[in-house]
Amino acid sequence: MAKNRLEVEICGIKFKNPIITASGTFGYGIEYSRFIDISKLGGISVKGLSLNEVSGNMMPRIIETPAGMLNAIGLQNIGVNRFIEEKLPILKKYDTRIIVNFWGKTIEEYVEVAKILDSVDIDMLEINISCPNIKEGGIAFGTDHKMTEKVVSSVKKNIKNKPLIVKLSPNVTDIKLFAKICEDSGADAISAINTLLGMSIDIETKKPHLSNITGGLSGPAIKPVAVRMVYETYKTVKIPIIGIGGIINYKDVIEFFIAGSTAVQIGTANFVDPEIPIKIINDLKTYLENKNIDKISSLTGSIKIN
Amino acid sequence: MTGKIVFNKKLSDKYYYMKIESPEFVKNAKPGQFFMLKTQSFDYLVDPLLRRPFGVCDIEEDCFTILYTLVGKGTYLLSNLQTSTEISFSNPLGNGFSIVKNKNVALVGGGVGIAPLLYLSKALKDNNNSITLYYGGKSIGDIHLLEYFENTCDYIKISTEDGSLGEKALITDIITNFDYDIVYTCGPKPMMKNVVSVFQDKVENIEVSLDERMACGLGACLGCIIYVKEGDNIVQKRCCVEGPVFDGNKVVWEL
Ligand SMILES: Cc1cc2nc3c(=O)[nH]c(=O)nc-3n(C[C@H](O)[C@H](O)[C@H](O)COP(=O)(O)OP(=O)(O)OC[C@H]3O[C@@H](n4cnc5c(N)ncnc54)[C@H](O)[C@@H]3O)c2cc1C
Ligand SMILES: Cc1cc2nc3c(=O)[nH]c(=O)nc-3n(C[C@H](O)[C@H](O)[C@H](O)COP(=O)(O)O)c2cc1C
Ligand code: FES
Repeated sequence: MAKNRLEVEICGIKFKNPIITASGTFGYGIEYSRFIDISKLGGISVKGLSLNEVSGNMMPRIIETPAGMLNAIGLQNIGVNRFIEEKLPILKKYDTRIIVNFWGKTIEEYVEVAKILDSVDIDMLEINISCPNIKEGGIAFGTDHKMTEKVVSSVKKNIKNKPLIVKLSPNVTDIKLFAKICEDSGADAISAINTLLGMSIDIETKKPHLSNITGGLSGPAIKPVAVRMVYETYKTVKIPIIGIGGIINYKDVIEFFIAGSTAVQIGTANFVDPEIPIKIINDLKTYLENKNIDKISSLTGSIKIN
Repeated sequence: MTGKIVFNKKLSDKYYYMKIESPEFVKNAKPGQFFMLKTQSFDYLVDPLLRRPFGVCDIEEDCFTILYTLVGKGTYLLSNLQTSTEISFSNPLGNGFSIVKNKNVALVGGGVGIAPLLYLSKALKDNNNSITLYYGGKSIGDIHLLEYFENTCDYIKISTEDGSLGEKALITDIITNFDYDIVYTCGPKPMMKNVVSVFQDKVENIEVSLDERMACGLGACLGCIIYVKEGDNIVQKRCCVEGPVFDGNKVVWEL
């Protein structure tokens, strides 16, 4: 069999390619199975789960901005137990890695959800300490040193079976500090970045476009910020980094690899066209073949300064 | 998928009518369904980023049509696309209207909300229904495609707010007959809300086609929530998957 140049390994787990769909932009995976062959994806990070069902923020929840969008969904989800009963058995039929993104309103809740997930048939956990759209939990944990340390180490202590990815918030002055704290607290990998806190106002009514007033900015507009943060994180920690933010084509993926990523997640681009992740996988393959690059992982952190 | 633009006609200062050839799309499209359309033909142009939702206006052999009105950047770019340009769009999405047989039906459309009622009227005519169309707009410039509706509808009643065509009234004010088995409506929210209150208690089935801002159109982003009554509860539905057509008697218009 021909070698698979796209294969990557994160915390000992092999991914057939480095393309993972980002949490919150791919539902529970199943929504997209009507439109694309989700078995072709390297992995899927499912919508952020909490202990109990959450109904999210009031409408309007989305508004488009230049080359991006603002959302204030509010981490709406069906709760961890319903996910395990209703969605996971269907998702398991597909040949792709399953990462479960999760969050809590308190440290105890984070730990409880993590413990439940640690014992089910999924590949990795991704702790979200960076959602800007909820009052409790989320970003409050990811922008305070002590809270970050506490939540990551508490969760890590309570899980035995799965690697833990910590998803960083870009809404901090120095991401290096937070990346280091996560590594020291036991994180097995880092994903960066979540959405940037933003706002948009209707100049006719003078009211904010979103019911929540502020929202999370995503899409190509945030890519330069994300690339910078992956680069800085790569220089700071030894654990693998999953790059996220504004990726829409294979060139963006290569850029994230050069900056220090071992894999990437595709978010808003899934809305732009559900076929984009598949197209990226094909384009990457062609790129590596044309450039005679044996494995994509050789590009990780290959940036040349000077 | 992609298709070729057969024409992109300007109907008035704000309205355009576009025809796209795509046998693949046409195969499965039902009346009341919508699709997500990339409003320009460049692959990597990222502004506007998201696709835009539009209703299936009509199906003619291998082609489908869109009646659209200029709103902002996306529809402006769309209006500039030339014949033969290749354009990309999703499969037909959403639930669509229910198609009844041998009934007396009313269609109530306002402004560009008339769009999905055209294909619906064809399907209803094929099923031997008697169809009355109520069509309202602000002014004569908002009333389009009448020549198509004349082939499918038994009665057509028109009103404009300024009286430039038909009666000078809101469309809901000129409805005097309530003897219908089912009412279908699509248009601005205040109009649909009025339609429901006018027909409530008189007609059991009122199907409203709602529009809500959409990012994905596929049920994944949870950005397009509609609230409906289910027994004693108010529950969330996704406009793009559980809709865009809802039971008018159950919609919660204001929360
Ligand atoms: C199910 C459905 C069917 C529709 N069918 C039609 C149709 O047949 N003909 C037609 O002219 N219009 C239709 N619309 C409305 C159409 O989607 C918007 O007018 C269009 O997206 C405006 O885009 P823009 O870039 O020009 O405006 P902008 O104001 O620049 O758009 C900014 C954002 O707001 C969204 N948006 C703006 N207005 C609306 C609106 N009224 N409804 C939903 N989203 C909106 C856009 O999608 C975009 O994400 C439909 C909407 C929905 C939800
Ligand atoms: C509508 C929406 C919902 C999201 N929900 C979640 C979530 O539940 N958990 C999470 O960790 N990130 C969530 N995100 C953030 C994305 O996973 C991703 O980090 C971000 O959108 C940046 O990537 P992009 O520019 O490719 O979209 C969400 C993003 C969007 C746009
Ligand atoms: S538009 Fe994304 S869920 Fe409806």
